[in-house]
Amino acid sequence: MAERADPVTPARTSWPLLPVLRRIVAMPLKDPFAFTGILIYVLFALVALFADQLAPIDPMEILFTKAGKLAANVPPGAEFPLGTTNLGRDIYAQLVYGTRSALAVGLSAAIIVSTVGTIVGLVAGYFGGATDAVLMRIADMALSLPFLPFVIVLTGFLGASTSNIVLAVALLLWPNSARVIRSQVLTLRERAYVEAARVTGASAWRILFVHIAPNILPLSFVYAAIAIGWAIITEASVSFLGFGDSGSVSWGMMLQDAFASQALSRGQYAWFVPPGICIVLIVVAGFFISRGYEEVFMPRLRGR
Amino acid sequence: MRLVLGRFTHNALALLAVTTILFFMFRLMPGTPLAAFINENLNADQQQAMLEQFGLDKPMWQQYFIYLANLLQGEMGLSFFQRRPVMTILLEVLPNSVILTLTSLIIAYIFGVVAGAWLAWKRGTWIERAAVPAVLATRAAPEFWIGMVLLAALSFNAGWFPSGGASSPGMAYSSNWDRIFSLDYVHHLALPVLTLALYLQGLPLLLMRSNMLEVMHEEFVTMARMKGLSEWRIVIGHAARNALLPVVTAFALGVGLSMGGNVVIETVFSWPGIGRLLVQAVSVHDYPLAQGAFLMIALVLALMNFVADLLYMVLDPRVSHGRKG
Amino acid sequence: MILEVDKLQIHYSTRDGTARAVDGASFTVPEGRIVGLVGESGCGKTTAVRAIMGVLAENGRQAGGRVVFKGQAMDEATTRKLRWRDIAYVPQSAMSSLDPVYTVGAQLVEVMTKRGNHSRASARARSVELFDLVGLNERRLADYPHQFSGGMRQRAAIAMALALEPSLLLADEPVTALDVIVQRQILDVLRSLQQRLHLSMVLVTHDISVVAYLCDEVVVMYAGQVVESGPVRDVLARPRHPYTMGLRNAFPDLLSDALELVPIAGSPPDLREPLSGCRFVPRCPFAQPICGIDAAMSGNGDHRSACRRDSEADTLRTAALDPRTWQRSSSFAMS
Repeated sequence: MAERADPVTPARTSWPLLPVLRRIVAMPLKDPFAFTGILIYVLFALVALFADQLAPIDPMEILFTKAGKLAANVPPGAEFPLGTTNLGRDIYAQLVYGTRSALAVGLSAAIIVSTVGTIVGLVAGYFGGATDAVLMRIADMALSLPFLPFVIVLTGFLGASTSNIVLAVALLLWPNSARVIRSQVLTLRERAYVEAARVTGASAWRILFVHIAPNILPLSFVYAAIAIGWAIITEASVSFLGFGDSGSVSWGMMLQDAFASQALSRGQYAWFVPPGICIVLIVVAGFFISRGYEEVFMPRLRGR
Repeated sequence: MRLVLGRFTHNALALLAVTTILFFMFRLMPGTPLAAFINENLNADQQQAMLEQFGLDKPMWQQYFIYLANLLQGEMGLSFFQRRPVMTILLEVLPNSVILTLTSLIIAYIFGVVAGAWLAWKRGTWIERAAVPAVLATRAAPEFWIGMVLLAALSFNAGWFPSGGASSPGMAYSSNWDRIFSLDYVHHLALPVLTLALYLQGLPLLLMRSNMLEVMHEEFVTMARMKGLSEWRIVIGHAARNALLPVVTAFALGVGLSMGGNVVIETVFSWPGIGRLLVQAVSVHDYPLAQGAFLMIALVLALMNFVADLLYMVLDPRVSHGRKG
Repeated sequence: MILEVDKLQIHYSTRDGTARAVDGASFTVPEGRIVGLVGESGCGKTTAVRAIMGVLAENGRQAGGRVVFKGQAMDEATTRKLRWRDIAYVPQSAMSSLDPVYTVGAQLVEVMTKRGNHSRASARARSVELFDLVGLNERRLADYPHQFSGGMRQRAAIAMALALEPSLLLADEPVTALDVIVQRQILDVLRSLQQRLHLSMVLVTHDISVVAYLCDEVVVMYAGQVVESGPVRDVLARPRHPYTMGLRNAFPDLLSDALELVPIAGSPPDLREPLSGCRFVPRCPFAQPICGIDAAMSGNGDHRSACRRDSEADTLRTAALDPRTWQRSSSFAMS
């Protein structure tokens, strides 16, 4: 599979990337779940982009009824599709704008986790020896820190900001992808075309980035897809606990708000159910996409 | 035996690393270096006691070793707001977390294993194709949100369950055991456990299913068929027995991970456990208590990692019995 | 005849079409004899044997022909009843055929108590006997499969197969995974067991030297069909089918006068394609237009061959000894 992508002529490495890209594009067309996942991502991306058009109201603005009273806890209706919070804010607007925060957190965390994980995995796997040992020990340390408690402590003491949350998530999540990528590199290292490249004098870095990396990249994407979901859930959890960024609107903050204002006892399902559903959709989309690509790039040998 | 020692050392070192990270983290927090253990809330005597206990006037590296020595004795300082030893407070709430975690995990795993094996048997049918994404959806939902929905529907709305806490106000018990096994406690435990179990069952289910699918294609399963053994015996006695190994390990790991993750569940249901304690301590900047709670969670994590390693070694004959040739 | 396989057809449904793994194969096993089933990988020998046991992969099915054991036609129900009790199987790799989490002794007892009439006590006693039969120390009964070395594992697999005192043993490449010295030992064990217990055996292998060493009769398979069969000495010394002649050249030190290793060029046909006529034509140096028509087995007495040019066998055989014959295929085959 991977061998065909790179003939044993390392001097001419025109586009080893092309077959890989082709596979990346082809997969969703065969897997309906992955396709749905991508659709969901696209949908949310569009919502985030066109939030201003979709919800022309400021999500934090306190609204008043025509009579001049606080539009608190208005049930869902024509004017407010999902009703209002107990402080008179439009829930629907919050939901729409929350998409931005979710995608921002998800994507930035995923990019950092993916990048760090891939680089560490590549270096540890390819160079081996002491480098590998040290990097893996650090990875172990990161994994022995309880996830949510660490994020809480960090944001609780360093300050509740989105970047702190992203930082904390990235710090603890990179070992997972690093490990898997490292083991992939270990197997690839022994492949014929890498040997050939080494024999013809290609430098270690060249081999790493020109020959091995393109075959690793798909894996990075798989883990990035999972990391997005994980980061969003973590941000939601942390916000729910009250350590979130109070300045921005996020689904986690909505849930915290609902919980603290007794929305549960009032049965204001329209307030706290939609944000959760949005989270479920995005995370499940990540699962489907990563599952689809896992099948392509790490096929399981099932029986005969 | 060597293996056991190796895993023990590995996990112990990891725990040490965590402790060290914590030490420096709290020292570097805003405020004076003393702020980690001393606060205006404590009276003069208590402040003096802490100063001596933790050597807060000594150089950093000395403080580090004093800190470690104190930890080994269970000495973690005084809580700023409760003005009591941190350890005492932790031990009071620990049982609640342990019970919540264990009960949820046991239910989740029993269900997950059975359902996973059943789904593997139903391979290729529409049931399987629909069930797997559905289970993935349960893993995609934030646990606290599931809790919120259940709380609203089953407690506030239907009134079947209490809305929070571990006991109704005014209840008194002669001993801890009585309290834990009382109907009132169980009643309060029900919703949190239901929520957690719902969230947790996805992992053992999918794991068991994928293990079963792999094992069923192994040569020894075909051989068992050739011997003419009954399908029941093959699936349960041979396939499931092999497929269960990683699940048991996952259970042990799950206990460790859950203790940390339960933070949110305990908050939703006001369950008086370690997680909730941590959140409260952090929000009021009660450093000693926050440190203690965090460390206790990390300790359980490291301990369960070690237990998982042990289990794997004991249950897999390929590891417990060496080659003889 | 303890076993008769008659025009057996085993088909596998794959994504790219139906593969005819066994396409009209017929052979017989006389009682108390060892029959070697030989051919290169993919020729259908393993499939045939698994079909006799009634254990095919999910996408496989018997599409034609029949199997007759002790005069009784084998349908699904009979196969299930007789499995292991009268027909047993010795696998190629005993490592993966034994459950790694149970001791070998436990697995022996299991098959004897669940499929035989043994009590646990009598099963345990018999396990000791069985290990004795195959030359294993009874203390090893308490060991796990991974604790055995390759040769010992095969002995254990043989012991397992004999547990219920079957009359027919189907051994699928039982020594392929072992080194040469151990191979000899295991083959000797098989031979002595066969003699002591009056077993009938089918020995599947791709290695002619094994056939020469152990078997009384040999059945040569190619592309899902039987191309030659007969007593071992006869077939190996005087092969009548070009494929067997070619095979023999691959083992030059055995019963033949060929002096060098001569491989047969090319590879077996794709079994998913519909094929007609002799399957060996593309690689056969003696192919002629007449070979495009299916050939039935012909020949005198026990030694039979499916070659259309069977009457010229002696001439062809002499030509086959010359390596140059194999280096240029016949003009017909080339077109």
